[in-house]
Amino acid sequence: MRFFLILLFLIVLALILQEFVPVFDWAYSSRLLLVHTVFLTIAVAVPFPAMLSLALVSGFLWDARYHVPLYTNEATLGALTQSEMPFGFTIFLFGLLGAIIQGVRPLFRRGRWELPVLMIGICTALGMLLEYLVISFHRGGLEIPAELWWKLLMTALFSALISPFLLLLLSRAADWVRYGIRSDDIKRRYTYDGDAI
Amino acid sequence: MSRLNIIFLIVFVGLLVWITLFEPGAVGTIQRGALKTMKPFMKASSQIDATVEALGTETLSPAQLRSRLAELEQERNRLKLEVIQLDELLDENNQLRRALQYIEKSPMELVASRVINRKPSNWYNTMVIDKGILDGVSVDSPVIVPVGENAGLVGKVSEVLGDHSAVVLLLTDEMCQVSAKLKGTQEQGIVSGQRGALRTLPNLKLRYLSKEAGAYAGQPVFSSGAGELFPPNLLIGEVISAEVGVIDTEAVVKPGVDFEELVDVFVVLPALIDSTEEDYESDGSSEVAEPAVQLEVEQ
Repeated sequence: MRFFLILLFLIVLALILQEFVPVFDWAYSSRLLLVHTVFLTIAVAVPFPAMLSLALVSGFLWDARYHVPLYTNEATLGALTQSEMPFGFTIFLFGLLGAIIQGVRPLFRRGRWELPVLMIGICTALGMLLEYLVISFHRGGLEIPAELWWKLLMTALFSALISPFLLLLLSRAADWVRYGIRSDDIKRRYTYDGDAI
Repeated sequence: MSRLNIIFLIVFVGLLVWITLFEPGAVGTIQRGALKTMKPFMKASSQIDATVEALGTETLSPAQLRSRLAELEQERNRLKLEVIQLDELLDENNQLRRALQYIEKSPMELVASRVINRKPSNWYNTMVIDKGILDGVSVDSPVIVPVGENAGLVGKVSEVLGDHSAVVLLLTDEMCQVSAKLKGTQEQGIVSGQRGALRTLPNLKLRYLSKEAGAYAGQPVFSSGAGELFPPNLLIGEVISAEVGVIDTEAVVKPGVDFEELVDVFVVLPALIDSTEEDYESDGSSEVAEPAVQLEVEQ
């Protein structure tokens, strides 16, 4: 429970720090998506139910701050246009990406960080690509310019670069509250979610 | 998959469906709450940005600052006199219009505001300003800045987040579409930005011009006012190139406003839009509907 509270605090802290993260024009207007990266780092370290709970919290907080709402459009003479991504879409996205990244959790628990770090970058970019595809689906005409791939690549790179530090931070926090984050920490035969060690 | 995982998954999906079905009003309340909480951090971030940008600029000595202040005071006094003269001209113009039974022109009522957050979104070119409901700002209010002798179009308010904050959808976004005309012609089309906010300063597309439009490089593009959201004669940019297609002409337009340098902007209050609409309804003439040049700025 104490570890879960620390994770919640980390997500809120990431949301605050996100305000201070600049957009890099030289990197095709990409930025470090701190909340996404923190969530995916947590998703690789916690059991499935905890991951879903945190997907709900972090997705909700992200949409509360960054969701783009309804607007009208002069070209359609003021006809109301629905928001392209519904409020709560990020929760779905985090749930989906979290489920994907849970696939490399056994590796992380064995102390191997290479693939989890790579997957955190890939999943961040995948989330962004899904958002772009939803926008394109709504607007019609699938435009995939080269800049899009660069933007996704740079975002993935930023996430992958920061994630080892976040994994280290999680490990330290787990040690501090005596939470079994790695296989060798766990003395029980079975883990919380019933997986055999 | 264990039973616990399945239970959590069902609860997760249930809550997700419930949240996606929130009414726009509820979403607005949540977002206003989030913004209120985050505003101190947004302001701090904006101040850090300004400090970092100021590091590279030359610092003026007290003597230079005094001299600059004197210059600005002189300029302010000159502008005050000009406004008085324009007021008199407007009154005279309206008297003559009344005599000719035309509709009176309304002065453009503006609210000066400061940009407090740039590019908060991944896929939309937006920014947050420090004026909101209590300042008279409403959804779709046009946002402008002075560009040389003209008023340059920045975008429109897409959401009023609170008493003193609103989101502006920039002209460079694909979803901010504006009815536009080529200067010196009757040619009208639709200007739109770029999908996905992949660049800070993308070129704009001016579509649906006729095949005989004859657009040339350097030709200024202004808002036409035909779409009723934006007042006419706001500078959008200038044509870089034009391509004649099978049924229409499409031109590439360089924005007139430097979106990277935006610090202070002006929101056009709804009163102007109402008067413009009335003008159109009354006689359908775009000449009569054009707003007066006079600006009334509320600080």
